[in-house]
Amino acid sequence: MQDGSDAPVVRARLWDGPTRIVHWALVGAIGFAWWAGETHHMDWHRLAGYTVLGLIVFRLLWGFLGSGTARFASFVKGPAQTLAYIRTLPSRDHAAHAGHNPLGALSVLAILAALVVQVVSGLFAVDVDGLESGPLSDRVDFDTGRLFAKCHHLSFSALQALVVLHLVAIVFYAVYKRADLVGPMVTGRGRFRNHPEIDFAPLWRAFLVAAVAIVLAWWTAKGLRL
Amino acid sequence: MSFKFGRVMAAGAAVAVAMIAGVAVAHEHMGPVPDTPAGKAAAARHQNFKQLGGAFKALVDQVKTDAPDKAVISANADKMNALAAQAPAWFPKDSGVESGVKTDAKPEIWSDPQGFAAAVAKLQAATVKLQQVSAAGDMAAIRAQVQATGGACKNCHDKYRVPEKH
Repeated sequence: MQDGSDAPVVRARLWDGPTRIVHWALVGAIGFAWWAGETHHMDWHRLAGYTVLGLIVFRLLWGFLGSGTARFASFVKGPAQTLAYIRTLPSRDHAAHAGHNPLGALSVLAILAALVVQVVSGLFAVDVDGLESGPLSDRVDFDTGRLFAKCHHLSFSALQALVVLHLVAIVFYAVYKRADLVGPMVTGRGRFRNHPEIDFAPLWRAFLVAAVAIVLAWWTAKGLRL
Repeated sequence: MSFKFGRVMAAGAAVAVAMIAGVAVAHEHMGPVPDTPAGKAAAARHQNFKQLGGAFKALVDQVKTDAPDKAVISANADKMNALAAQAPAWFPKDSGVESGVKTDAKPEIWSDPQGFAAAVAKLQAATVKLQQVSAAGDMAAIRAQVQATGGACKNCHDKYRVPEKH
């Protein structure tokens, strides 16, 4: 990354391991679920959906219990700060945010919201034949299950649009602002003018949150029955 | 923090509600039913297939549980078989899209009557057997026949039903 200024550049940790693993696991699981759904491998589609459910539960909890850059409180900003950030967009001088910038924060929230709708609608969805269905679909009648299936398709279109926007933003930052957003999400490290003082959550907490996420996903897959 | 937490949850909830509302509006895709023989036939067909799908779902819901209620399975298999027996009558001539009604029934149903009749016969054979194995109550046989019946649905839908728009 060429900084363009003569300011000293420090290389420092930005994203913790759990956040990166969840990010790339979501990419894989969503891609696989898409393929399995399109090709009617519904057992695999459900399995991928449970994986996404676990990952989303983890990420939402990690947004409150995780490291500095993973916490919602650290990156979700009000309208004033978001507008102020938008005004800096035309500038090619990238003042590296230590993590999500206020605009990216909206993208994170939108993607998480779309994924929540995606997973929940899938749990209750019923196919047109009444044969294939989500693990909680026995709680709803056929018509309602079909409604959830339509919601499942619609929210996937929304998710696809959000992913395209995400990729366009990455290209914009790479080409226009000469800022590498992908590298740090892989290695966990980025370059900054000043050392970002980020507090990282201990690993044991990640294991604890992961255990909660796995149990919840597994139990949901079993139809939330005791 | 609590202020931001509230904001995050409110934004998420707003998106979810907007999506569900959008789907609810889009759901009545049959629209107002034209008061014509074709319109009535298409609407009746739609309701009949909903009955069939609903019965299959109720049966499959039981099959998926640890303690299936065999009476429910058998009752829904009976219902499915009775509906499947009537299915050929749900497709009177001139009740396709060319008559101006909204329907997912493809014109091939009427342009390829032999192929369509074979596909419906396949469904009927499947539901006859489903009714038999459901009455007998052997879960392994029921599970196998559920898959076969689902295959018969899909077989006909692939050829004679407009694919769902995603």
